[in-house]
Amino acid sequence: MKRTGILFFPAFDWSLGDSHPEREERLLYTQEQLFEEGVLDLPQIKQYSPRVASLKDVLRTQALFPNPEAHTEGLDPHLISAGSSLLLGEAQVKGEIHNGFVMARPPGHHSGATVWGNRGFCSLNNEAILVNYLRAGFGKKKIAIVDTDVHHGDGTQDIFYHDPNVLFISLHQDGRTLYPGSGFVNEKGGFNAWDLTLNIPLPPGTGDEGYHYVLENWVLPRLHAFAPDIIINSAGQDNHFTDPLASMNLTAAGYGRITELLQPDLAVLEGGYSIEGALPYVNLAILLALAGEDYHHVREPQKIKRNTVTLAALKPYIQELKRQQEAAKPSLSFQSKPFFPSGNWIYSPHSVYYDTEGFQETRHDYVRECSDCGGTVYIESRKYTEKSILVRIPFQACASCEQAGYDLWEHLQNSKESFSYGFLQNQLHDSHYVWNRKEGLRKF
Amino acid sequence: MFNRIGIDVGGTYTDAVYITNGQIRHTAKVPTQSENLVETLMNAFDNLKIQDEQEISQITVSTTLVTNAILQNRIPPVKLFLYSGNGMKVDALPWPVNYTELRGEMDYRGREITSPDEEEWQKLNLADLEDDYSHVAIVGKFSHRNSLHEEQLAGYLKEHNPTIRIALGHEWGQSNFYRRSLTTYLNLGVSDLYQQFVQQLQAAVRARNIQAPIFILKADGGSLPLAKIRPIDSIYSGPAASVLAALTQTAPDESSIIVDIGGTTTDIGLALSGVPLLSSKGAQIGEFSTLVRSLAVRSIPVGGDSVVRLNDQGVVLENYRMGSAYCLGGANPTPTDAMRYLQLIDYGDLGLAEEGLYSLLPSEQRTPETLEKLALDIINIVVEKIARAVDSLQREWQEEPAYKVWEVLHPQENKTFRTIVSGGGARGITTALGKRLKTPVQLGAFPEVSNALGAALSKPTFDCTLHLDTYIKQYRVEETGEQGKWTGALRPHREVEGFIEALAQQQAADYGIEVQDMEKEPFDFFPIVQNYQTVGQIVRGSVHVRPGVIGRVQV
Repeated sequence: MKRTGILFFPAFDWSLGDSHPEREERLLYTQEQLFEEGVLDLPQIKQYSPRVASLKDVLRTQALFPNPEAHTEGLDPHLISAGSSLLLGEAQVKGEIHNGFVMARPPGHHSGATVWGNRGFCSLNNEAILVNYLRAGFGKKKIAIVDTDVHHGDGTQDIFYHDPNVLFISLHQDGRTLYPGSGFVNEKGGFNAWDLTLNIPLPPGTGDEGYHYVLENWVLPRLHAFAPDIIINSAGQDNHFTDPLASMNLTAAGYGRITELLQPDLAVLEGGYSIEGALPYVNLAILLALAGEDYHHVREPQKIKRNTVTLAALKPYIQELKRQQEAAKPSLSFQSKPFFPSGNWIYSPHSVYYDTEGFQETRHDYVRECSDCGGTVYIESRKYTEKSILVRIPFQACASCEQAGYDLWEHLQNSKESFSYGFLQNQLHDSHYVWNRKEGLRKF
Repeated sequence: MFNRIGIDVGGTYTDAVYITNGQIRHTAKVPTQSENLVETLMNAFDNLKIQDEQEISQITVSTTLVTNAILQNRIPPVKLFLYSGNGMKVDALPWPVNYTELRGEMDYRGREITSPDEEEWQKLNLADLEDDYSHVAIVGKFSHRNSLHEEQLAGYLKEHNPTIRIALGHEWGQSNFYRRSLTTYLNLGVSDLYQQFVQQLQAAVRARNIQAPIFILKADGGSLPLAKIRPIDSIYSGPAASVLAALTQTAPDESSIIVDIGGTTTDIGLALSGVPLLSSKGAQIGEFSTLVRSLAVRSIPVGGDSVVRLNDQGVVLENYRMGSAYCLGGANPTPTDAMRYLQLIDYGDLGLAEEGLYSLLPSEQRTPETLEKLALDIINIVVEKIARAVDSLQREWQEEPAYKVWEVLHPQENKTFRTIVSGGGARGITTALGKRLKTPVQLGAFPEVSNALGAALSKPTFDCTLHLDTYIKQYRVEETGEQGKWTGALRPHREVEGFIEALAQQQAADYGIEVQDMEKEPFDFFPIVQNYQTVGQIVRGSVHVRPGVIGRVQV
């Protein structure tokens, strides 16, 4: 029997604030719906209980700035959500289950390579932490993430932007009309991983038919051409027509069809804040679709009130978008610091806004140009006056990028430059270090 | 001070035990005459040699009657009407009975989505209800949140035919529409049979001049007065009783693994700090998944009489028996023969045990050394199968799903266990089992009447689980299915403590039991938010009296 795993972790004792969308109530009605339907009695469904991810699991993927201790308070729910993804992902690759659904709070896809705090309700990137866990411990090489949350998965994109072995596809409501305001077709990945990020911004009002059309005609061909070892779906549910934060027109059964088309090995809940009108039904439809059951009878009580973009109107829009996407070329800026090891360093400065706490992170990213691997990454990141630095030796790093990483790391520990903490993310050997002049070196 | 009688009415034998203050005065074992239960029970009472009937404070009965009726398909048909609404397809799950789906839908908070259709009701062939069906069960999806549609149809049917017996699903106030439907169906289906049993029991008790109240043992190891128990709750009281019997022989807060070895089946239970582990799902009986709360017990097809065979891989233990053990005159070698051969037990013929085991070996291998190894192998296989079931139970306990951050950060602590083994071959496996489980092993006393003993010392269990929606102004009680109007605050705090306390006291009074040492779960408060405004709360909380035993017996 093909089994479907479910890890339901509604975090009933945790919220980001009394009336915050990310609150105790969020999965309450989903629980009522799933339990009342008797879904857990389906013979192919296997329920798992959560576990806590370790700091090492996190640091393999994300640098916690200025240092891990600064996050200890309040990180627990996020570690459980991430740990839940790891547990179910592991069950999938070990063949215990055919596929699975991590229905856990809090979400994660806005959380990027460097983390100073919570943004877009996310502190840790559950899917990204899972992806690197599977690569570090289970020999997975090529992984695809398809993000069907209505918001651009900017955190996930940031983490894998230079990674030639991870295909990241995000479908979302156009960033000109919705948080976080990114995810345009010209964002196609860093130079070393060009065309491994695909953003498809959709017009507000897109409905089931339009969404499925884009999946069938754009996403699936791209996905199949990549031929990943495993497909992960960031299954946000805020494309639903009742969502209070976004303006799309998908239905619960429409989400069932998305799942059926994508055939993800693992679906991981992201956003979705119509906690009464959508979540109980969308969660049910996704789970039924994963379990190979009929989801067409899942019908939310409300009717669509917003105008839906017709397929006839959407088709030319998508064709134009695709043309622009294909035409987009990398814009390169080379710049390096005096102490940088040899090679061409691609420089991209940008800033990240943390809406939950209201501050700005300023980033200076440098990536070593490389045709053999993802390239050494050097990131200087600043919040107010505090500065931390990340050095990353990527998975499957070539010898010269590995050496470049060590050289940078050695330089940091001897430099006169003032910064709070340095992080070495050695994905190649799965050993991760935090260093500070006063506290010395710590291994994770 | 207690003087109690415990009775276990099994399919073959009825066992009874009379206990005064921890001392077993008398035990009885009489054949069950299924056609004459009154006489069976009177015989049992007579064998207990009761001198002063007035002294007896309580009789508790465990019975397999309802279990067997369901497993043997001896229940009358019940007409089942479902308000199945939208969602998962009804037939995604296997239904062992027929049903008729009707229009009408509620949502997860008990708000009406679609009202029932009276025209549809008029088209129902109600003549059937008089001829073929005198019992009707009506169950709606989310009826445990709002019973309106069930009540409406019940009213309509009663008007049409006042004599039909109707059961409504919301009286089983837990979620799970599928299980609620089957539980409602079964409970109604066995009700006549159970009533008959009640009358026979009362007749026998009256005939022997006993005035003591009669309690029935439930699947969760608790007991309730005869008239208050829901018949279906009496299933699986046998395994529950055997767990309780073991607890009468342990220290009050000890954690124990309880192994009861029968002829073909071994039951395994777990008690944590003196409290038996409850199953996280309702009981499964035959093809029926129910909401019946039951102890987490594993029954594995291994016993003293299991047939042993030898193939290329070595010793194999079959799932069945074929008569008794070879050393007791049977035709096949069994674990009992291995135990007898190794002189771990003293019943059965030693010579026959040897002969039986020899028959497994080709003639050239028949040496005392190979025979001894064979006997040890057989015992190890039995022990290994039991140990695996113990592991799986412990996993069930440790891997219970957690829905709160606090629960994940405070996982179940490891406990130190003691193993209590009872039943026919118990003595034969104590050493091997202790070694494998790495726990001390103790032999259970009074194995011949252990179920009656467990029943005798059982206590009332009690649960009251509140689900309150202050915005909709409705409260519901899971265990009784009670639904009522909430007149308190939108954001109650202290108020709910008093409210659940009052509900629990009322419920206990209705059951006619006294509850002491109620255990309170912390309340969960869910603010209900609309447009960034908190407009009310959903509050969940519960109080319990856990299963256990009221005293210990002197071994």
